[in-house]
Amino acid sequence: MTAYTRDECALIWLCACAGLEPKERVVLLRAAGSPSALFEKYERFLGVLPQREPPCGFDERKRQLSALLKEMAQKKRFAVTAVSEDYPEALKAASPPLVLFGEGKRELLKEKLFCIVGSRITPPWAEKFGSEIAEKLSRRFTVVTGLAEGGDLSAVRGALPSGKLICVLPCGLDECYPAAHAAIKERVREAGLLLSEYPFEEKTKKYSFHARNRILAGLCEGVLVLSAAEKSGALITANTALEYGRDVFAVPYNPGIKQGEGCNELLKKGAYVCTCAQDVFDCYGILPPEEKEIVLSPEEEKIYSLLHEEGELHAAIIAERADLPIYEATAILSSLELKGLVVKSGGNRYGCVG
Amino acid sequence: MIAKIQCYTLSGLEGIPVEVETDVNKGVPSYDMVGLPDTAVKESKERVRSALKNSGLLFPMNRITINFAPADLKKEGAVFDLAVAVSLLKASEQLIGADVSDIVFLGELALNGDLRPVGGLLPILISAKSHGFTRFIIPASNAKEARFLGGAEIYPAENLLGVVKHLVGVEQIEPLETAEFAACKRENTSADLKYVKGQPMARRAIEIAVAGGHNLLMVGPPGTGKTMLARCLPTIMPDLTFEEALEITKIHSVAGILGEEGIVTERPFRTPHHTATTVSMCGGGNRVVHPGEISLAHGGVLFLDELPEYKRSTLEALRQPLEDGKISVSRAGGTFTYPSRFMLCASMNPCPCGNYGSANLVCTCTPAEIRRYRRKISGPLLDRIDIQVEVDNISYDELTSGEKRESSETVRERVNIARRIQRNRFSEYKLNTNAEMGERELNEFCRLGRESEEILRRAFERMKLSARARARIIKVSRTIADLDGSEEILPKHVFEAVSYRLDEKI
Repeated sequence: MTAYTRDECALIWLCACAGLEPKERVVLLRAAGSPSALFEKYERFLGVLPQREPPCGFDERKRQLSALLKEMAQKKRFAVTAVSEDYPEALKAASPPLVLFGEGKRELLKEKLFCIVGSRITPPWAEKFGSEIAEKLSRRFTVVTGLAEGGDLSAVRGALPSGKLICVLPCGLDECYPAAHAAIKERVREAGLLLSEYPFEEKTKKYSFHARNRILAGLCEGVLVLSAAEKSGALITANTALEYGRDVFAVPYNPGIKQGEGCNELLKKGAYVCTCAQDVFDCYGILPPEEKEIVLSPEEEKIYSLLHEEGELHAAIIAERADLPIYEATAILSSLELKGLVVKSGGNRYGCVG
Repeated sequence: MIAKIQCYTLSGLEGIPVEVETDVNKGVPSYDMVGLPDTAVKESKERVRSALKNSGLLFPMNRITINFAPADLKKEGAVFDLAVAVSLLKASEQLIGADVSDIVFLGELALNGDLRPVGGLLPILISAKSHGFTRFIIPASNAKEARFLGGAEIYPAENLLGVVKHLVGVEQIEPLETAEFAACKRENTSADLKYVKGQPMARRAIEIAVAGGHNLLMVGPPGTGKTMLARCLPTIMPDLTFEEALEITKIHSVAGILGEEGIVTERPFRTPHHTATTVSMCGGGNRVVHPGEISLAHGGVLFLDELPEYKRSTLEALRQPLEDGKISVSRAGGTFTYPSRFMLCASMNPCPCGNYGSANLVCTCTPAEIRRYRRKISGPLLDRIDIQVEVDNISYDELTSGEKRESSETVRERVNIARRIQRNRFSEYKLNTNAEMGERELNEFCRLGRESEEILRRAFERMKLSARARARIIKVSRTIADLDGSEEILPKHVFEAVSYRLDEKI
């Protein structure tokens, strides 16, 4: 069992068992001076808050705490508190959570963190792009994201194989939102790290997404927005990140595409344009990871360069330009797809990545 | 005197012999029918009485007993009318010198003595012939259906009097001439691939699907021509052989949907609406078990438009017939097996709003909505669909060269060649097409080179394929190689086969 100091224990109890609002906790802590003092004389300091039910006694508090610590040990969970040694420095920027409960590889918190977010409705090509870039960024950063559908999930898929992945949940660690992602949450727990500022059984509330987004923005050196409509959670994360003085990257979109309006808006305000992992590496002066040499046949080369110039094309047009029968063109395209150079973007269209 | 006349009834697609025995005795006039006749059979009394009277024959005013043997089988329908009338005549000694012992009499009587057609005649004739009967008297209006049965004397009679004259030798009815079967040339159908604009990928996909007997799913936004493409499927399928035509005709005859020609000459194309019930799909009914849509599509195409709109239970019921090529419908009255080897062709939108993956239109569905929509089609059903292709709404102004439109006939020639290769390959097995291959045949005929194996392995990892999907991809590769005239399955064949699997989201 991880040993916690008295202050840490006090904070863990305060966040998980006391049933207070985050603001109230801060007020109490300020009044008490130190967490351990608050824990011991909780009844006395509770007076600074407006009326509430009488608190439980000291013994009861100690019982609650030891039960919680036992549960955490059982479920192989840990807590990083504001007074802990490895509490991420970056997070102290604004309204930091007093405690982060975690499950998985704790050491990831010490890595260089980079956040990738995207709204739930993300076009297929942007999802593919998100996976690709998450995979590449995960060779130099630890990727931080949520566990929602669309953009978040694409980043999770990309970074999961390397294990350098942190998912911050908008609910307790026992819960899963959306429920359909229980399996992938399990895989993140095994390979990477799950974080949450809520007690284990806490369900998702309307405001917890906003609260989660502030942690995403706070943890990282930079945020990449894969997709964001005019109003979206991804955009809130980006704006919070700007407030905290983080670098914001956005994927450019064609005008008129709703799912990209937020991204283009960010670019107008001065966000970095991101079309490949190199854009991020350049910004931080990081040497790019070495690419594996991929050998292409002459036909593959021809079609790949064609796509490279045009970005996205319909298979029939590719076949026509490359002067091949359609079925041979699809065969070559699916070969390129397996090599990870080309993605299907729906409607028989193919796009170029990497 | 006792008379015995041979007749037949139907159970599923099988004809079952029924003997009509009539005994005319002295005594108080009465008329009794025994041997489990249903209402329609019992009512034959009135039809027979009037028909006899109006044909100038005598209805015996004696004590009459009619027995239908075997006595434990329920007798249904009006097919026994003629046999009852003839047996009455024979028993009342109005057919002196006529030999009726080995003739099968089939037909419903009108009050004026005319013969009305009966449903399911062809399956009855085929069964009766296999039981050794070679002489039949049938209603003239059923003649078209019956003339394809070779090796039997079939006399088409207009009315009861004609039958009597024929039997006593006054006026012979000419036996039917056996007709040569000719598959329909499809001259005047409006469905033809040459009328389909664009869609090169989908064209190729349906060609492969038909060549190897693979099931097909077309995914695309509304109004992109999915239905049009599906309607072209029968036009590129190989011509019906006589045996196939007979089998299909038997089913259609039982269902009572046989057309003018008397035999099915074109491959069926069935399009049940998505409100179809499971029973209408699979077959059923409380007295007579009718063949369902999947049996009516036997030898042809079952087209399910807007697949996710069908009831889940109805779709799941298709799984077993898709594997076995037949369906057994069990009811309290018995179990009936109908063949149902059809090609499944389904179409659906990519998402509820229809624009997912579209180049110009924006999809407004959330991932959860899309998932819910796609989840309506179960994995096992999807697994049985070898070829999944996207049908898109690319406008052909985007292509500069004039598009090349092949007619159905050109495509059909290529399909015929590929089918011939498959027939030769499977000559020692009970298979016709690549899609029917099992594990054993896969090992024997679909050996992959090292490079192809490597491709499959990569596809496996990247697309998270199931083991069944792997076998399906290999089968499709085999068909593509056959179309290519290649003995070996080359990497390009595997690549193309891989492209006919749509990504599945977790």
